[in-house]
Amino acid sequence: MSVVGGDAESITALGPIRRTTLVRRIGALLRSNEEHVWRYSARSAAIIPLAGLAFVLSVLVLKAWPAVKVNGFSFLTSSAWQPGSTYGAVVHTNGVAHPPGSSYGAWPLIAGTLQTSIIAVLIALPISIGTAFALTERLPGWISKPLGFFVEILAGIPSVVVGLWGVLTLGPLLAQHVYPLIANHVPNVPVLNYFRGPTGYGEGLLTSGLVLGLMIVPIIASTTRDLFMQVPPLPKEGGEALGLTDAEVARWVTIPWVRSGIIGATVLGLGRALGETIAVAMVSGSVLGHVSPNIYGTMTTVAATIVSQLDSAATDGTGFAVATLAEAGLILAVISVAVNVAARIIVNRTSRLSAPVGRDS
Amino acid sequence: MDEITSSEVAARLIDSELSRLDPDANRPPNVISSEGLNLSFGAKSILTGVNMEFARGTITALIGPTGSGKSTFLRTINRMNDKVPSFRHEGDVKLDGESIWSSGQDLLTLRRRVGMLFQRPNPFPMSIRDNVVAGVRAHRIAKGKQLDIVAETRLREVGLWDAVKDRLGDSPFRLSGGQQQLLCLARALAVGPEVLLLDEPTSALDPLSTESVELLMRAMTPALTIIVVTHNLGQARRVSDKTMFFYEGRLVEHGDTSQIFDQPREASTDRYVNGLMG
Repeated sequence: MSVVGGDAESITALGPIRRTTLVRRIGALLRSNEEHVWRYSARSAAIIPLAGLAFVLSVLVLKAWPAVKVNGFSFLTSSAWQPGSTYGAVVHTNGVAHPPGSSYGAWPLIAGTLQTSIIAVLIALPISIGTAFALTERLPGWISKPLGFFVEILAGIPSVVVGLWGVLTLGPLLAQHVYPLIANHVPNVPVLNYFRGPTGYGEGLLTSGLVLGLMIVPIIASTTRDLFMQVPPLPKEGGEALGLTDAEVARWVTIPWVRSGIIGATVLGLGRALGETIAVAMVSGSVLGHVSPNIYGTMTTVAATIVSQLDSAATDGTGFAVATLAEAGLILAVISVAVNVAARIIVNRTSRLSAPVGRDS
Repeated sequence: MDEITSSEVAARLIDSELSRLDPDANRPPNVISSEGLNLSFGAKSILTGVNMEFARGTITALIGPTGSGKSTFLRTINRMNDKVPSFRHEGDVKLDGESIWSSGQDLLTLRRRVGMLFQRPNPFPMSIRDNVVAGVRAHRIAKGKQLDIVAETRLREVGLWDAVKDRLGDSPFRLSGGQQQLLCLARALAVGPEVLLLDEPTSALDPLSTESVELLMRAMTPALTIIVVTHNLGQARRVSDKTMFFYEGRLVEHGDTSQIFDQPREASTDRYVNGLMG
């Protein structure tokens, strides 16, 4: 109770003694209602994320609304990205002011976002599961512990640094030695011919996917490692005792045991890949207006476009360019939510045969 | 010569033909034998000097207090201990006269021939039907439609068919503990083992399930050789032909089950089987 008592500065009209009594009284009141205080503070804490999400979404919708009204449904299908003339007389469409000749379509951005994220997950998932396996089942403790720590450190590397490495080192290296090799040896048949054609200079779709994949490996791998460590030894021993190979035990016992957790970790990684901005802005080529014709071509994503176009959009006196970027952001948010909902549905479907949670055997 | 009738000749012919067809005819009578076996984890010696032979088609019970080394012995036979880095063994264990550690012995095949059932049921996270045929698929014993037949046959064998036939695609984790253990038994039997190692198979089961497992053990011999670790002395007495008593890292005594329980030679055996020592 010395909080107030001894401090001469705090003495007010109430006087030191009476003030201390007041503090005590409040303290006693709080204690007698501890349960209520706890309950209400917990409730209000639980509401904060919800309120934050609602606030962000409503601002996004509010800012994007003029663009939604002008761009219409074709925003999802069009490939145009024309800011229009800054000097001509302002035009009005559906009551919204925008520069003459402005025309926007987000299809290349949406496609690019989905393409890079899918490539990233396709690359990161097997690597992550392999890493998690090596860390939990294969390697002895003295090497797996520091290695596991290393994987977690990898998650902490700033994306701008990864992007810099991607654009300066990885991209040129792949464009010089790897991409031509693939492009020249893949047969010219449907689907696979997507891997043929000009390979560019290392900035583009595949490089972006690879960089993103590398960035989400630590997220998926460290979660999957923790999941694998929770798989009880008894079912795995049952597999070994039945004469299953290690790979069969992994495929039939260990991975299915934590399947829903792995899906969750993958969605976490996918969410990161969908929203990753600066690294993609650096290695994608940041080319607007077209969907890459093959897997090597330059492109851009929703997030990368927002960050790279924001400056020039701010010069649009009507605010329409900024509204369009907000609409793109809204689409990205919708994609992320859709991915999470889809993942939840998949988890519910596949957990039918999984082990009950908390099984300790 | 005249006395030998034609029917006797026929009978002898059938006998010789049958013995030629008998897959076990040319095998040693002892399916498993351990010779001067010493087991240790690091510097800690678990079991020393175990010489024992397991006759084909018999049930042998391994009894003894916790920490006496019986489980380690059991898990040595299908080489489950080999993955423990500090595990060392001296002496030998032979399956049909061939060392289980010999280079000609494939680990996966060894484990197909020597099956195991654990203290607690450990079904795989897959459907009931897939659980039964998991080993069959892994060892490529059958495929496609045959797997359904294998699943039905083995589930009938363990008496689980009627309970699960309408939910073969369901999760095994909704079955009762006893049913899960029977499912694991069906899974172990499906790959056609010659020896079955049971590590306290009924310690987590209710009395009714325990009884059905014991009945199955009797029914599976002499087609199978069973070695069972148990803390349940009544169980050892009920089901086993031979009993081995382990105490403080030694095989103290072994013999016919009735002899071990009724006329033990060693004082420690006497005290253990009479419940004077836990």
